Amino acid sequence: MKAFRRVLLVLGLAGVIGVIAKLRGKGGVPPTSGGWRELEAPDFR
Amino acid sequence: MTSILLVGLGEVGMRAARQLADTPGVKRLLLAGREFGTTERMAEALGPAARAEAIAFAPGDPIPDGVDAVATALPTSVDHAVIAAAIAQHVPAASCDDDADAIDSLRALDRNARAGGVTIAVGCGLAPGLADVLAKHAASSFRTVDEVRVARTGWAGPASVAEVRHARRALVRSWHQGAWREEHPHGEELVWFPEPIGARDCKLVTGGTALLADSLAVPRATALLGEPPKRTWLRRRFGDDGEWGAARVDVWGRRDDSHDCVVYGVIERTAVAAGTVLAVTAAQLAGALDPQITEPGVHGLGSLVDPAPFLAELAQRGVRAARFEGVPVR
Repeated sequence: MKAFRRVLLVLGLAGVIGVIAKLRGKGGVPPTSGGWRELEAPDFR
Repeated sequence: MTSILLVGLGEVGMRAARQLADTPGVKRLLLAGREFGTTERMAEALGPAARAEAIAFAPGDPIPDGVDAVATALPTSVDHAVIAAAIAQHVPAASCDDDADAIDSLRALDRNARAGGVTIAVGCGLAPGLADVLAKHAASSFRTVDEVRVARTGWAGPASVAEVRHARRALVRSWHQGAWREEHPHGEELVWFPEPIGARDCKLVTGGTALLADSLAVPRATALLGEPPKRTWLRRRFGDDGEWGAARVDVWGRRDDSHDCVVYGVIERTAVAAGTVLAVTAAQLAGALDPQITEPGVHGLGSLVDPAPFLAELAQRGVRAARFEGVPVR
């Protein structure tokens, strides 16, 4: 029973760590300044 | 009389047919689909002004006489036989196959195409395709280019979804310091596309990296691909008639004494963007649109087209690119 609880605890911790890692992602910093501007005629030269 | 043969009438093919029908320089449009009856109905639906005609044609058949260019929107690897026939008959062709292995097998026909003086455009979709043209446009603002990264999210039809899933599982070949490197990528990278797509998890893939490396002679090039949602067939059945797609192109380079980055993005239904790019390329190959493309060999769009007029033509047809202005973050 004790071993079973330990296994459950380890799996739970692994899940929490996995979720945090997934949420954090990689390179996941939003571009906080600036925005998208459509290319117009002067850009096509 | 400019005549174009379009082979494959799936999600991308249908959009390409509409774009070609709306191109005044195209005087005759031959359509070849899987089922002749459906193809005939589609030719009728395009209207009499389109001058579209259904023909019985299967990959491996000879290209009909009088065709000035061929456009293929077929499932992965199926178009190889059509492109080979086009080269044998000295007819320029455009393919929108985005599978890395399929692109490699088409590039293997380069020597034949050069010997025959035939221009073959490969990877004529959203990415590879439009993204390569945007990368070339961005690269023109630098003295030297250090790195190009292309990311795409979006898929056209069921065949495209299957291809995206395959590409995300396959071993990756990336272009690193002027040499190929095999990688087993772990995990996803968050990529910020133009709104309303926003941030999406993307995975490193091989994709059209070879075409990028060829066209820009850049030391480092990578391609990333987003994950398709589950149960896409069910979503389509309940009225979701096509997924929005987006591409983002980051180009790092040097100008004067500074190191800088230019970021371009585009957002459109993936099938619409790919179909429009395929149609414009085929029309330019046939001489129905200016400037005519003549560059014997098998090339990606980044090596073939002049970015400014190509992007202007796409913008006129509703596929508009945007530039990120601010501080880009990797």
